[in-house]
Amino acid sequence: MSTETDTDAELNSAEPSRSASRPARDVERRIDRRSLLRPGDGPMVIFEGVTKRYGTDVVGLEDVSLSIEAGEFVFLVGPSGSGKSTFIRLLIKELDATEGTVIVGGRDLGKMRRSKVPYLRRGIGCVFQDFKLLPGRTIYENVAYALEVTGDAPRAIRRKVPEILSLTGLSDKSDRLPNELSGGEQQRVSIARAFVNHPRLLIADEPTGNLDPDTSIGIMQLLYRINRTGTTVIMATHDRDLVDKMQMRVVALEDGRLVRDERSASYATVEP
Amino acid sequence: MRLGFFLREAVRSIRANVAISIAAIVTVMIAVFILGTFIPSYLYVQSTVNQQKSRLDLQVYVADAATTPEVAALQAEIVGLKDHGLVKGFTYVSKDEALQQFKSRLNDPSILNLLPNNPLPASFDVTPTDPSHNTQIAASLRASPAIDTTMPGNGISYAEQTANRLLSIARFIQYAGLGLIGVLLIAAVLLIGNTIRLSIFARRREVEVMRLVGATNWFIRWPFVIEGIICGVVGAVISVAALWVAKVLIVDPYVASSTDGLTKNQANTIGFASLAILLILAGGAVGAVGSGVTLRRFLKV
Repeated sequence: MSTETDTDAELNSAEPSRSASRPARDVERRIDRRSLLRPGDGPMVIFEGVTKRYGTDVVGLEDVSLSIEAGEFVFLVGPSGSGKSTFIRLLIKELDATEGTVIVGGRDLGKMRRSKVPYLRRGIGCVFQDFKLLPGRTIYENVAYALEVTGDAPRAIRRKVPEILSLTGLSDKSDRLPNELSGGEQQRVSIARAFVNHPRLLIADEPTGNLDPDTSIGIMQLLYRINRTGTTVIMATHDRDLVDKMQMRVVALEDGRLVRDERSASYATVEP
Repeated sequence: MRLGFFLREAVRSIRANVAISIAAIVTVMIAVFILGTFIPSYLYVQSTVNQQKSRLDLQVYVADAATTPEVAALQAEIVGLKDHGLVKGFTYVSKDEALQQFKSRLNDPSILNLLPNNPLPASFDVTPTDPSHNTQIAASLRASPAIDTTMPGNGISYAEQTANRLLSIARFIQYAGLGLIGVLLIAAVLLIGNTIRLSIFARRREVEVMRLVGATNWFIRWPFVIEGIICGVVGAVISVAALWVAKVLIVDPYVASSTDGLTKNQANTIGFASLAILLILAGGAVGAVGSGVTLRRFLKV
């Protein structure tokens, strides 16, 4: 794929090399924006005995405990209804755990005030199966919106958006509307938007669910390259081929329970 | 607050949802037009009634035979009532003054020259602080020997029934008018709120996405509020223009050509400029509150 010509080195170096010449105030702002996720080498995500019930008897997650280190790439696998989406919605505090503790970037989400949630989300990039782009806005405006909400200066926005669009291979699409783009391109926009703030955690919920296998690989590569910059990536999927190909950490859920957590693993355990 | 960005966002969403924006504007227009005709009418009627109320004086007729000390005692009693706050003021009208006043009301004053003497009694013209005190005032003065009991109302004349009827009409207009304005306002807010709800419902996915990328509630809300203000003010301005046309083409010529007392009396109503400002402010406020409140439902994180 021609848009994949950007190298990992480019993606890695893009941020530090520019921030060196950036005014100090701008840097301060960027740190402030992410302040809700505490920096450091500790675990990015900790689940401790997390249970989520909808109503009284519908179980979303049942007593899940795990820890995800900063910089990891984790596949969250399992059939539909196994609790993958619940897991992800707990991470961005769209839901609250019924029992147990969810800690993201050193923050206990159970103790976080509602009013802080927008600031939490600015530190987490989100990618969804249905892209969730703003329909009436161009690609450029969609990506810029994520920066507008953080109060970025117009000048910074004009610099960052073309930068991320070129990294995701969308430079020539910036004036198009989302519905004029293919599914794969829309998903790239959604990733560009999620990554434009350079979050320390990126969550992808079935990002390849609506895409054909070839396009899926492109998206996968993009997420992998983002992970190589040090960003923790959690990707929920049931794309068996993709998971098998990557051989990363796999967390498997079934009926809301954690049934497997393996490093460098495949989608399913190989039967002996 | 980043006004420029929010303004651009508001204008964008108005342009992206032209049909719904027009619906909101028309709704405000109708509500404001109704309010704009009702408020001045209400104030006019109320002020007219108040003017009539203030004319409900008591006439205390003084007998020709009354001695000077008796008249002085009567006057002292009226002063006493004034001290009690029942009477606002009074004037003494002598027999001669009464005759002069009577003459001035006649087309042919010379007819009075036929009278052998002045038949009109002197009187105290007593203005109550409130017409509802009239009965009480009359009762406390009635015992005075200076009063000419051969005159109407046994010497103390006031339009008791007229006064009571006028007072109850005044009260009715006051409460009913305020109630009606209240109902109209509520109806306007609900109508506009409903229209805005449509607009927001059409964009609930957009609001969801905004929340997911970390927009605060106020960051999402401001453009909607500004949009509401713009629609409200535009609707109100159109309405005010229509009201002005109606005033110039219908009301002003009618008042100018009319000869009856009701339009001639200097009843206080609201000036058109103040009315216009009031209505435009109300339009903007209703738009802002309508969208701000309606959006709340979609902002629960």
